[in-house]
Amino acid sequence: MTPPPPGAEALALPVPKDSIYNRDIMAVTKGFSLKWLALVLLALGGLLQAVGVFAYQTYTGLGVAGYQAPVFWGVYIITFVFWIGIGHAGTLISAILFLFRAKWRNAINRGAEAMTVFAVLTAALFPLIHIGRLWKFYFMIPYPNQRGLWVNFKSPLLWDLFAINTYLTISVVFFFVGLIPDLAIARDRAPNGIKKLLYTVLSLGWQGTGRQWKAHSRTVLHLSGLATPLVLSVHSVVSWDFAMSVLPGWHATIFAPYFVAGAIFGGFAMVLTLMIPVRRIWGLEHIITDYHFENMSRFILFTSWIVGYAYTMEYFIAWYSGVEWEQTSFFLRAFGPYWLSTWIMIFCNVVAPQVLWFKSCRTNVHLLFVLSVIINIGMWFERYVIIITSLSRDFVPAAWGIYIPSPVELSILVGSFSFFSLLFLLFLKVFPVIAITEVKELAIHARDHAHGGAH
Amino acid sequence: MPELNRRHFIKLVGLSAGAAAAAGCADPVEKLVPYVIQPEVITPGIAVEYASTCTECPTGCGLRVRTREARPIKLDGNPEHPINAGALCPRGQAAIARPYLPQRFDGPRRQGRDGNSQPVPWQEALAAVGAKIQADGARTAILGGQVGPTLSGVIDGFAAGVGGAERVVYEPFAYEALREASEWVFGLRAIPVFDLTETDLIVDFGSNFMEGGPSPVELMRQFAAARDLAKHPNGGARLVSISPRLTLTGANADEWLAPKPGSEGPLALALAAILHRGGMRAGGDTAAVAQLLSGVDAKAVAAEAGLEAGQLEGLANRLAHAKNAVALPPGVAATTANATSAAAAVLLLNAILGANGRAMTLPASDVAGAPAPLSEVLALVEKMKAGAIDVLVIHDANPIYSLPASAGFEAALAKVGTVVSTATLPDETSVKADWVLPQSASLESWGDAEPRPGIRSIQQPTLRPLHDTLELGDLFLELGRAAGASDTPEGSFREVVQAAWSDTDFRRALAKGGVFNAAAPANVSVGAGVSKIEARFPKLAGPGEFALVTFPHAYQGDGSSSDLPWAQETPDPTTKLSWSSWVEMSLATAEKLGVTFGDAVSVETPNGNVEVSVFPRGGIRDDVIAIPMGGGHTESHYGSLAGDGFEGVARGVNAISLLSADAGATGGRVWLGSNASVRRTGRFQRLALSQWTDNQRGRGFAQKISLAALAANGHNGADGGEAHEGGNEFALPYDPANDASPESEYRWGMTIDTDRCTGCSACVVACSIENNVPIVGEEQAIRHREMTWLRIDRFIGDGDSEGGEARRPFPDRERVGETDVRHSPMLCQQCGAAPCESVCPPIATYHSDEGINAMVYNRCIGTRYCANNCTYDVRRFNYFDYGRENWPGNLPFMLNPDVTARGQGVMEKCMFCVQRINGARQIAKNEGRPIADGEVVTACQQACPTQAIHFGNTKDKQSEVVKQADDEARKYIALHELNTRPAITYLAAVDRSDDERSHG
Repeated sequence: MTPPPPGAEALALPVPKDSIYNRDIMAVTKGFSLKWLALVLLALGGLLQAVGVFAYQTYTGLGVAGYQAPVFWGVYIITFVFWIGIGHAGTLISAILFLFRAKWRNAINRGAEAMTVFAVLTAALFPLIHIGRLWKFYFMIPYPNQRGLWVNFKSPLLWDLFAINTYLTISVVFFFVGLIPDLAIARDRAPNGIKKLLYTVLSLGWQGTGRQWKAHSRTVLHLSGLATPLVLSVHSVVSWDFAMSVLPGWHATIFAPYFVAGAIFGGFAMVLTLMIPVRRIWGLEHIITDYHFENMSRFILFTSWIVGYAYTMEYFIAWYSGVEWEQTSFFLRAFGPYWLSTWIMIFCNVVAPQVLWFKSCRTNVHLLFVLSVIINIGMWFERYVIIITSLSRDFVPAAWGIYIPSPVELSILVGSFSFFSLLFLLFLKVFPVIAITEVKELAIHARDHAHGGAH
Repeated sequence: MPELNRRHFIKLVGLSAGAAAAAGCADPVEKLVPYVIQPEVITPGIAVEYASTCTECPTGCGLRVRTREARPIKLDGNPEHPINAGALCPRGQAAIARPYLPQRFDGPRRQGRDGNSQPVPWQEALAAVGAKIQADGARTAILGGQVGPTLSGVIDGFAAGVGGAERVVYEPFAYEALREASEWVFGLRAIPVFDLTETDLIVDFGSNFMEGGPSPVELMRQFAAARDLAKHPNGGARLVSISPRLTLTGANADEWLAPKPGSEGPLALALAAILHRGGMRAGGDTAAVAQLLSGVDAKAVAAEAGLEAGQLEGLANRLAHAKNAVALPPGVAATTANATSAAAAVLLLNAILGANGRAMTLPASDVAGAPAPLSEVLALVEKMKAGAIDVLVIHDANPIYSLPASAGFEAALAKVGTVVSTATLPDETSVKADWVLPQSASLESWGDAEPRPGIRSIQQPTLRPLHDTLELGDLFLELGRAAGASDTPEGSFREVVQAAWSDTDFRRALAKGGVFNAAAPANVSVGAGVSKIEARFPKLAGPGEFALVTFPHAYQGDGSSSDLPWAQETPDPTTKLSWSSWVEMSLATAEKLGVTFGDAVSVETPNGNVEVSVFPRGGIRDDVIAIPMGGGHTESHYGSLAGDGFEGVARGVNAISLLSADAGATGGRVWLGSNASVRRTGRFQRLALSQWTDNQRGRGFAQKISLAALAANGHNGADGGEAHEGGNEFALPYDPANDASPESEYRWGMTIDTDRCTGCSACVVACSIENNVPIVGEEQAIRHREMTWLRIDRFIGDGDSEGGEARRPFPDRERVGETDVRHSPMLCQQCGAAPCESVCPPIATYHSDEGINAMVYNRCIGTRYCANNCTYDVRRFNYFDYGRENWPGNLPFMLNPDVTARGQGVMEKCMFCVQRINGARQIAKNEGRPIADGEVVTACQQACPTQAIHFGNTKDKQSEVVKQADDEARKYIALHELNTRPAITYLAAVDRSDDERSHG
């Protein structure tokens, strides 16, 4: 079976004669290749070392991280924002593109949704790691208690807590609802055993009846409607962690759209980083085609321009404001001790994506993979630049300091990637990585069109 | 389950009580047990203060020792004491830790020269040592630091009683030159006393009186009084500082002259000559003076000193026109081989200025037990080397550390049969002793001081000895008895002190801290001794290309205070460095050597070499390098790394090891006598620097206004109401009194007068000790994690926003010969619209009814957002459990029980000493009245020698704090345009340099 040629006509997917979609997609979950096992072990090792380091940090004290006044936030918050950003593309693809009837999303939405859930789960670890005494975290939760404690609803950190929990809930529900018909397929194909039991329970007795399909599609529609504002709100709220402060470099009205665009930008890059190897390893080129990658590339190019515009605007407003500390903060951002991170950020997020103007680049999978990794690095550095440079060069020059991440923080950063990868690798072996029913639906529509069938 | 009835209940109660009792049998239970019989003066929860005397340096400042449940927790100045008048220097503040230091000797020990050390009972130790002394009392010597008159008398009595033991009083900073000089000039051996209060021009010939010297707190207080703007609308006294490097005194001066090091004497003489020729000869109109000064060529002196002739003429002119000018003689760092001439020249200049008898007086006699000149110490060392000393008793001194190696003290010690040390702590000398008979800490001992005739200050114990130690007085009495000394007084040393004070009402003296009837100063005039003054410049020894300036550390002095945690942790007021030693060199020198901040260089003199990190700065001459003393201890907990797991590695370097042991021309010690060469080593040792730039970038933290603007009440042009930068359309006017609950009677506020602030940092140490702020140690300080709630930011000028990335984290804006240093004490501003409060999720920081931005420590979960959002960077985070880790041993005894000790992971900051507010509130409530103005004194306010800080209720319009803030010309708010509505009003410093600089 040769994959169809790239381009708009790629929607004309082959007609599922013998359920090739069932077979090919479910094949991903079958067996344990050495490669997969090696990756799992690698991820597990990365995670375990981070758990050990975290235990060490908890026992010894946060001092083992690189904080120095006046930089009180570091790699943990950077990585937190990074993962929240990654967790964006999933909902965007599932909900917004669903509402816009962008059918090409069907091949990637499952992977993206899974990525969202795992990224938000990863992100959610970081506030706990960041505060050092994680057993105190429940102080942030408003519930009636005999200690008479309440929380401060004026604090953006509290908004953040709510925003992320909401987002996590809706992402999980969305992910799960979309999975139900596929789980039924998996159930039907699974041999007896624990997997069969798992699929049976999770597929909630799905029979594929018209009534069930009707309910399902309505649910998806409504959930999409609910999730759409969240795509915009979550990262807006995260951006307010910074924008609501008074710090030069943080206190900016552009932050919400800037962060949302950045999150979509980074999220799409992460989808590419994940789906390109998946497609390659399990030979899914006929389902996830170059056309999908090209569309995502266009998104990346577009959001890269928004991000670039935001960067420019920040500098412009700093200059235009005439406020000395704003100007100093931004001058030192570009030419101060952290100049390297700033220029890495600009190169990765603004300069490098410009290759996507060329179709040859948009369809070159190897180049896309490299580019997506570059963008991921760039987006991490974007948060590094925003958080560290602003804090280290704040209002009182006498108190200025330099923050250098410590090995402990870098271990935990590596651990977060391991945790995320581990979840994704396990996901590949449990759930269909592509929404089978949606791809089928697409193919049948395409066939009907090809046959001139009326709709 | 059946319903719980009465019987059942009683059964259960009985069972649980029995279980509890049984458990009690198994483990010792620690309980807070109330006093069975309440001691008369102790009420739990109420502090008791005792008057005493500070012994950290020989100044003799009065103390009020604040004790809680019989533990001293804080040292404050005694307001009734004429010398320090309620204030206390940082070094004195830090001394609270002394009795609690973890490395203290816990009892007498017999030590072998192979290093083994065994505890012995006092009886045995005293008997053994006593027998040795008794064998031949004349071959016994006592080498010790300066002590009070009564104790000195006991030691002298002991020396005589055992048959003529030799006693040498040894202080590294003995001011031999000054004592000798006053003998030369006035025929009376004493340290002159200065009173700057009424002066209008002060010339500091390298005295650096703010960082040390004979009486820093007193002189700073008088200096501030002489410049009090309320009394002197023209700005009052001007200060001209002469020093090769910008010292703290230079930083507060209106003019800084930076001649070659060692020029002080010739310059003073040249000034005297110019004035004398000009007909000004108030107290120096003698033939000897005329003859001396006739040979002085002022132009040649100026040229050799590296000054322009005009500078000298200008200064002479100003001196001639001043009504009450005074010159301050060279301090330790300017003590050359020719120091006696230099000091004498300054005293002569004072006589010519007519300051003698006004701003400068000579006490009728020198203090009892004054330190001997270095020559006598060296003579004793020679005797020891010759084997003429069988028993050497060393007290209050650490000569192996504080004498240069070339004095050969350590080798001489080996020739002494029995070495007895009474040190409280292991130090370089006491570890070499055969016997350690530890004396009690000063806070555990009786004593007295008479720094000036008639000013008698008493020292009473405020703590029972924590270890098996004896007061030094008792130790000598007991030793005398054991050695069969004749005429040993009966009873304890306490009784001896009481007998010595029998001419006073002892109880009243104890309550007051002493008897303060200053005797009339000696009526002296210039004698024939002035002819001994030589006008020549000193010649520095050695081939090096730099003159080596070794200066006393601001808090560690000669190294005897290096053990005190806060003397290590508090940033030096000039360099903002802590915990280590550094070598200061000019920016040009550093560039020439190819080194920068933190690079280790090897500094070599003919006497030795050390490897030390570079601190480049603008405020030092190119031909000078400077190293502070006090570092490089090999034996001590905080002063060396011995307590940090790196046994024996010195923290910093001992600058004294670079010096020659040769005495100066008149037998005094020489601190400025060597040239040094500097070589880069390629190694790097980061220094703990708490402030990385001295550029305030025009942000107006430390503002200065001209005298003209002051006179015009702030209306100096376009700025209008707020006289300085920072006032613009964004800065909204407000009254801090509104930032409290309307029902509250109080809104606490503060004013900080930066015109009075000298940057001495007494407030920093006082705040830290009052509020249980932990020290963090060198490694953490290097990482900018210091915990001090109050810091003193030091800026040069208004600053500008040119470039200025902090790639050069050192003060590179200082310029030789210019001084515009601004000190900005920065602490929590208790904002009315605090950025920290709104961002804290668990409401761990909130605005109290009385306007205080309060911290609830056990609500803090450590998001640290508040610290990020604080516009003044005054919040501090406990990254580790500093409080537990850095206060080993008995040190937790010094914690203030009124203040929570914070644990790991908690944010903390200044809360305007809320415990003191609540203490005052309780008293006021008991008396059914509101808290009166001045009743609450914050720790920083209390310690400030210049009274730069005022605190009070801003809702009370009659309060001092409101009156202070009502200064249209000078008041400003830090970062006003952010509209955080701080409760602290700063008062701008006044630029006094513009009116008559040098020319005039």
